[in-house]
Amino acid sequence: MANNSIELNVQMEVEKVRNKRKDWGLKWYVFLIPSFLGILLFMVYPIFESLRLSFYQSNGTVEHFIGLANFKSVLSSNSFWNAVWNTFFIGIFQIIITIPLGFIFASIINSTKRGQNFFKVLYFLPNVTSIVAAAMIFAFVLHPEMGIVNYVLHAIGLPAPGWLSDPSTSKWAVIILAVWHWIGFVIIICLANLQAIPSEMYEAAKIDGASGLQQWFFITIPNMAGTFAFLLITGWIGALQRFNEVYVLGGPNGSPARSIQTMGAFIYERGFTGFEFGIASAATYIMFILILVFTFINLKVSKMKI
Amino acid sequence: MKAGLSYKKREQIAGGFNFVILLLFGLLLITPFVWMVSVGFDRTANVTMPFPPKLIPKHLSSFNFGIVFENGSLIKAYLNSAIVTVSSVFIGVSASLLAGYAFSKGRFKGKKVLFVVVLCTLMIPMEPRLIPLYKLFNSVHLLNTFWPLVLPSLISGMLIFLCKQFFDQLPDTLREASQIDGAGEFTTFFRIYLPLAGPIVATMIILAFIWSWNDFMWPLVVLNDKELQTVPLYLASFSLENGTSLGGLTMALATMSVLPIVILYLFLQKYIIQSIALSGVKGE
Repeated sequence: MANNSIELNVQMEVEKVRNKRKDWGLKWYVFLIPSFLGILLFMVYPIFESLRLSFYQSNGTVEHFIGLANFKSVLSSNSFWNAVWNTFFIGIFQIIITIPLGFIFASIINSTKRGQNFFKVLYFLPNVTSIVAAAMIFAFVLHPEMGIVNYVLHAIGLPAPGWLSDPSTSKWAVIILAVWHWIGFVIIICLANLQAIPSEMYEAAKIDGASGLQQWFFITIPNMAGTFAFLLITGWIGALQRFNEVYVLGGPNGSPARSIQTMGAFIYERGFTGFEFGIASAATYIMFILILVFTFINLKVSKMKI
Repeated sequence: MKAGLSYKKREQIAGGFNFVILLLFGLLLITPFVWMVSVGFDRTANVTMPFPPKLIPKHLSSFNFGIVFENGSLIKAYLNSAIVTVSSVFIGVSASLLAGYAFSKGRFKGKKVLFVVVLCTLMIPMEPRLIPLYKLFNSVHLLNTFWPLVLPSLISGMLIFLCKQFFDQLPDTLREASQIDGAGEFTTFFRIYLPLAGPIVATMIILAFIWSWNDFMWPLVVLNDKELQTVPLYLASFSLENGTSLGGLTMALATMSVLPIVILYLFLQKYIIQSIALSGVKGE
C-alpha cells in the first residue's frame, strides 16, 4: 500500500515537471543566443553581403551597381584560370599521393604490435606544426643550392630541380610540403577506422585460409571505402582553400611567375592588395559554389545524421 | 607443430621488417625538423648555409637563438597569440556547450530547423566572408585590434555538433531527477550535465586551440600593426622580408615557434590524436 502511494506521488511529480517544461520552452532559446548571434553576424550577413558586393564595383568606400560585369571579368581573366589550374594541380597530386601512402602506413602500423603509439605520435608531428612554420622550413629544405633534398638527390646521382625558383617545378615543391603536412592526419583517420573493422571478419578469412595480403585486399580495403571517400572530399575542400603555405612561399601573387598562386591567393591579391572588392567577391562566390558542391557530397557520403 | 613454428617465425620476420620500414619513414618525416634545429645552431649559417648538411654544425653556437629573442618580437607575438587563442577558445567552447546542450536535451519549437542552420555553417568557408567581415569590423573601427580575431570564434558548427552528440549519450533521467528537486534548466545544466562533460570539453578546447593558434588568412587581413602580430603572422612577415637569405636566423625562429607546440603535443598526444580522430570521423 505504502509503496503504491509513493509511486503515485512520484508519478504526479514527474507529470508536474513535464507540464512545467512546456512553459520553459522559451528558456531554451536563451541557450542558443550566443551561437545564433554569431551565426547571424559572422555567417549569414557576410554571405549575403558578399553576394551583393559581387554585383557592384567597389573599393570599400565608393560603390556602384554593374550587374554581372565582375563575374564576366573574373571568368575571362587568365590569372583567375591560372589560379584555378594551380589550385587543382596541387590539390589533385597532394590527394592521390597522400591517401594511398597514408593508408599503407596506417595498415603497417595497425599490423605491428610494437610501438604503435610511438609511430602514431611520430607521424602526426608534421600536422601539429603550423603550415606557416612548415612552409618557412621547406623554403630551405627545398632550396636549389643549399637545401637538404637537392643534396640527397645529387648524392645519389639524380637531377636536382630548381623547386621554388623555377615555375615548372614550384608546384611540386608545394605538393611535397602538402603531402608531408597532411599525411599524419590521413594516417590517424585511417587507423581509427581500421581498428573499427570487426576482427571476426579477419578470423573467418583466416580459417578459410586467406593470406595477409588477400585479407587486406578483400576485407580491409572494401571496409575502408567510406573513410577514403571522407578523406578524398575533406582533402579536396581543404585543397580548394589552400592559401597559407603558398602565401609564405610565393607572396600574394604566387611567385615565381604566378606558378603557385591559388584561388585563395588570387582573392587575397585582388581584395586586399588591390582593394577590388567587387571582383574579389565574385571570385569568392565562384570558389564558394565549388566548395559547397563538394561539402554537400561529403555530407551525403559520410552519412551525417541530422 | 613444425608448421606452426615456422608460421610464427615468418610472422616475426615480417613484423621486424614492418618495424624497420616504419622507423625509416618516420625518420624521413622528421628530417626537416632535425635539419632545422641543426642549422639554427650554426653560427655561420646566415652567410653560407652548411653544405653538405651536417647533423652537428661546425660552428656550434646559440648565437641565432640569442638574436631571435633579443628584439622581443617573437615573445610579443607569442603573447598576442596567447591572448587571442585563450579568448577565442573560451567564447567558442562556452557558446557551443550551451547550444549543444539545448539541441540535445531541449524541447522547443524550430529545434530541427535551427540545428540544420548550425550544420549549414559547416559548409561556409572563410573566403566568401573575408571582405564583408573586413568591412564590418572597419565600420566599427575595430581593425587592428584583437576583436575581429576573437568574436567570430563565437560560432563553430563543428563544436556544437560534437557537443550535441556527447550530451545525446547522457541519459535524460538525470534532468528529470534534478528537476523534481526543483532545479531550473540552467541549474540542471551547470550542476548536473556540465560536470559530466569533461571529456568533450577537453576535445573542444584542443580543437578550438589548434584552429585559433594556426589561423592565418583572417588575421593577415585585419592586422597590419606589427605590434599586434600573432605567431603565424610574424613568421610569414619575417619569411617574406628575408626570403632565403638568413638561414640560421630563420631556422632558429622556426625552431622557437615549433618547439612549444611540439612539447605541448607530446604531453597531450593521446587527447590531441583522439580529438582529431573524433572530428574526422564525425560521420559515423
